[in-house]
Amino acid sequence: MVRPALLLVLACSATAAAKVSFNREVRPILAEQCFSCHGFDAKHRKADLRLDNREGALAENDGVRAIVPGDPAKSELWKRLLSADPDEVMPPPEAHKPKLTAKQQATLRRWIEEGAPYEPHWAFTAPRRPAVAAQGPAAIDELIDHGLKEAGLAASAEAPPEKLLRRLSLDLTGLPPTPAELDGFLRARAKDPQGAFAAEVDRLLASPAYGERWGRWWLDQARYADSNGYSVDAPRSIWKYRDWVVGALNADLPFDRFTVEQLAGDLLPDAGESQRIATGFHRNTPLNQEGGIDVEQFRVDSVFDRVGTTGTVWLGLTVGCAQCHDHKFDPITQKEFYRMFAFFNNQEEPTMKVSEPTRDEARLAAAAQEAERALATWLDQRVAEARQWEAGLSKEMTAQLSGPAKAALRKPAAKRSVAERALLFAAGPGAADREFMALQRRLKETADRREAAPTTLVLKELAKPRKTHLLTAGDFTRPAEEVAPGVLATLHAFKPDPGPVNRLDLARWIVAKENPLTARVIANRVWQAYFGRGLVETENDFGSQGTPPSHPELLDWLAVEFVERGWSLKSLHRSIVLTRAYRRDSAVRADLADKDPDNRLLARQTRLRLDAELVRDSALVASGLLTRKVGGPPVFPPIPDGVMSLGQVKRAWNTSQGPDRTRRGLYTFTYRVTPPPASAVFDAPDGLSTCTRRNRSNTPLQALTLLNDPAFFEAAQALAGVIEKEGLPAAFRRCTSRLPAPAELAVLGKLDRLSAARTLLNLDETITRD
Amino acid sequence: MTDLLRLRGRTRRHFFRDCGVGLGTIALSSLLAQDKPASATDPLAPKTPHHRPKAKRIIYLFMAGGPSQLEFFDHKPKLNELNGQPIPASFIAGKRFAFMGSSHRVNLLGHDKKFRQHGRSGAWVSDMLPHTAAIADELCFVKTCQTDLFNHAPAKLFMNTGSGLFGRPSMGAWMTYGLGSECADLPGFVVLQSGPRGPRGGASLWGSGMLPSTYQGVPLRAQGEPILNLTNPLGVAAADQRKVIDAVRELNAGRLAKTGDDEISARLNAYEMAYRMQTSAPAVMDLRGESKATLDLYGIKDPAEASFARNCLLARRLVERGVRFIQLYDTNWDHHGGVTENLQKHLPMKAKDIDQACAALVRDLKSRGLLDDTIVVWGGEFGRTPMGEVREFTGRNHHIDAFTMWFAGGGFRPGMTWGETDEFGFGAVKDPVHVRDIHATLLHQMGLNHEKLSVKSQGLDVRLTGVNPAKVLKPLLA
Repeated sequence: MVRPALLLVLACSATAAAKVSFNREVRPILAEQCFSCHGFDAKHRKADLRLDNREGALAENDGVRAIVPGDPAKSELWKRLLSADPDEVMPPPEAHKPKLTAKQQATLRRWIEEGAPYEPHWAFTAPRRPAVAAQGPAAIDELIDHGLKEAGLAASAEAPPEKLLRRLSLDLTGLPPTPAELDGFLRARAKDPQGAFAAEVDRLLASPAYGERWGRWWLDQARYADSNGYSVDAPRSIWKYRDWVVGALNADLPFDRFTVEQLAGDLLPDAGESQRIATGFHRNTPLNQEGGIDVEQFRVDSVFDRVGTTGTVWLGLTVGCAQCHDHKFDPITQKEFYRMFAFFNNQEEPTMKVSEPTRDEARLAAAAQEAERALATWLDQRVAEARQWEAGLSKEMTAQLSGPAKAALRKPAAKRSVAERALLFAAGPGAADREFMALQRRLKETADRREAAPTTLVLKELAKPRKTHLLTAGDFTRPAEEVAPGVLATLHAFKPDPGPVNRLDLARWIVAKENPLTARVIANRVWQAYFGRGLVETENDFGSQGTPPSHPELLDWLAVEFVERGWSLKSLHRSIVLTRAYRRDSAVRADLADKDPDNRLLARQTRLRLDAELVRDSALVASGLLTRKVGGPPVFPPIPDGVMSLGQVKRAWNTSQGPDRTRRGLYTFTYRVTPPPASAVFDAPDGLSTCTRRNRSNTPLQALTLLNDPAFFEAAQALAGVIEKEGLPAAFRRCTSRLPAPAELAVLGKLDRLSAARTLLNLDETITRD
Repeated sequence: MTDLLRLRGRTRRHFFRDCGVGLGTIALSSLLAQDKPASATDPLAPKTPHHRPKAKRIIYLFMAGGPSQLEFFDHKPKLNELNGQPIPASFIAGKRFAFMGSSHRVNLLGHDKKFRQHGRSGAWVSDMLPHTAAIADELCFVKTCQTDLFNHAPAKLFMNTGSGLFGRPSMGAWMTYGLGSECADLPGFVVLQSGPRGPRGGASLWGSGMLPSTYQGVPLRAQGEPILNLTNPLGVAAADQRKVIDAVRELNAGRLAKTGDDEISARLNAYEMAYRMQTSAPAVMDLRGESKATLDLYGIKDPAEASFARNCLLARRLVERGVRFIQLYDTNWDHHGGVTENLQKHLPMKAKDIDQACAALVRDLKSRGLLDDTIVVWGGEFGRTPMGEVREFTGRNHHIDAFTMWFAGGGFRPGMTWGETDEFGFGAVKDPVHVRDIHATLLHQMGLNHEKLSVKSQGLDVRLTGVNPAKVLKPLLA
């Protein structure tokens, strides 16, 4: 169901004669009211009636036809929808479906009168470049202005320059502009308004912070976090994948390649370390390490998640709905779900050592070998002593030894490794020998240094393929027929390479030019970040239960351009932020309240509360504390006491010292079960399943966080120092990107410095992208 | 999601009819019935339920780990008679259990616990729970509870959210989402913990899933500040805190006038609530005002010391202040027979930890006239097998086919036992009750219809009771 007022606008814009559009007006009604029992899912279909295609709707069934084109009175569907008899009316009362509005009734009636034409679902037909006169950003404006004109709405003026740069900086890099950047922009703008803004766009897109900001956007979808989840929630090392994402976005790796490397980088003919790291995308599933589990059950669960996530992230389809039965609304069979499943059912899940350019592996190995040799030589000289000690061991003494020492004892002396010999020597004659202990320590240190190479989680294809079966009702203990890897028949053709079909074929199918979904889905999700809402509001469901696009032609234009410009995300960003629509003021307008209360037609911009990480980052920038270092292992900024004891296993949180205390929120170590509270309270996703749109809640706990959290208090103390050095107006500007009005200054001037700083960090404006 | 907060001046009807479906958000269709303006600035404002509620609040005593119904409530003399003999194969054919490859066993396990019938109702309770036995006539026992999952974290999620997967709203979140909160200075959904560790599954157990985080449970902590970041930073005086909050209000109000954005009015409210919480949360945790008689009733020796008993008393105090949903987690109920969790030594200790306080809570609520509209729920994520498990000591494995929970107050029939299990207590022979039925019933008592309380997400109408059939347990209701 969509807002009728808007539909009217869109329908009017389509054709003057205003024939009812099946996709925009009728399908949503049928999907809501009928498809759950009369849709694609054959097994649960009632009365053998199918209404999701014309053939089914027109078929004669017990002497009646659901739809008789041109004749509502003879159409059983029409009669049943209107019936007052509880035994007759459809949907039945127990379905608790909302009553049809008068407008919906009129729409259905007219549609039947007009011959009940069906259309293929809009999202399953390839996007077409709409006829627009303009090019680039102007084309976007042309399509938006068209809708505004139809509705008789005037667009808001451009936002003031400081607000504009603040918006652009936060959107492209997640960081507010510095005073110097603001001044530079104001100066340049005085000479060349358009050119100055475009230059800022280029500068920000080239900043490494761009990859950090949009990397987080992608990591939400990848369900990235730093621990295993479930009850044990042990830490894991997969930050190299995070850094890969940031790096790939900064390099503007074409999105098709970006996709292929993450889904199947290990299978590429030229797969290197970087491509293998990229496959961490699907290693971001939680891992259950609870005692007594059936490991296979949770392996299957993680494969379910991989199929569902792939469907949601790239196809914008609720593929996961077909896990237990055929999809009720979209043409996805349960068998197809398991054919997709087969692609992801065939992997080992290894931990891979990752090289570090700054590490000299050969030298580290040589050092470790040298240390081992020295220890061995020394042990050789003391062999008599060791033998004597071993011979004199009583049963009681043996029982006191550690497990590994006992195991070493059981081996014949000649077969013991240097480490085992050292272990025994340490338990016996060497216990207090300083020379021996120094040698042992040296071996341990060199070995540790060698082992300390970072690792990451990757996918690796099994040498011997695992068979995949359809699982009855999604239950891994009930395998049914065997299935081969395959894709959704309703979409474009699958043309795998010769040889065994694998993930690489799937990845290439997903980014095939003919795919009607991927480019639209990604362009829509990028759009959503700039306007608070996608052109398709249900950003994770482009199926028939989703909302149709508010601006279908614009969505198609964005998708077509995206692909034609080599899947460049930076180009996509550039075309959006250079539009007039993006640059409009965000103030609420009384005249829009009735005509377009949700601002679907984009007459103005929207104020958006910053994402959790950016709330933190902004405070750090404003107070001058932010450490600008890109990448590396996760860090542990201060968190309130006792947070880590909320899970089953109390995990250590050794608060970082020095520059790592004040890194960007992106780098904060995130336990899935006990996430950092300041992030969770601002709706950071939990990393337990894919997140394609964050909530934006507004709660008292957020207020307590900004007021009292140790990290924010540290920032406030630093900002108090800024007030002391640079004055209140400058500090205000660092937080809000504008100078305070005299009345505002008066309010702050009554406070001591620390209170004024705390006030500034708590302002709605400070944590909002205006 | 596009939130509730942008609705100033617009009606609920408009919102739910025109914006609700397909937004991945709110579709509380019952609210269609009314044309009141939505409370633009407070998503927790009280909302009208689907039907007249019998209960206003729930206190859920969650015994995390899975307490043994066979040692507490489900009296099976056969277990002693056939101790050590294998359970007939027909019972376990095709069944899966936890620890199947290691410590799981098929021999029945008897025990030395004495069972007696109590009260007019004649409910069976073992001597390990004398206080609970004494209030048997207040309780409604369900002997045939069934769940779907037999590992802790998934089963706890299932009991709380109706799904073994992460990311679904918990029961308390659903309640505050559907009904709002009646408490202006405390969260509507509060979580209290006792025992040596947190429950497996952590914050997901009281999470809000796809609902806004406004509705998630807020842990009130036993040590340190009761709510994270509740206390002013070190060195910040109360007067300074107030000055900051006042200045924030003034500047935010100015911004509201300039932008017209309702998010700012929501934030103004949030700061006021935060400020009130800074006083009210420590006040609710401060038991100095409670009489010695009350402390003795609960068995609280040191009011400052964290314990399940203290949490029970806190639950009563929260109920008095209008908190909607209070969940107590007590951990270490996983009596497999290991060194630290076995039936001989540790189950009696756990029983002693909770017995008096559970009974005291019910009595205390009753004496204050609160039991009529407060539901008390007792239970774990599953029960334990009639077969013994052999580790260092004896214990029982996780069991999902029949376990006992009890309910009191809030319109549940007092002095009632529902459902019958077979001679070994393995399965239900009469009136099985699924977790979904429990969810449907609890929602029903609170005035919510489990089929109507839903949220759109990924093309699905997500409900606490999921897609499989669930029924309100009418025979249990007075």
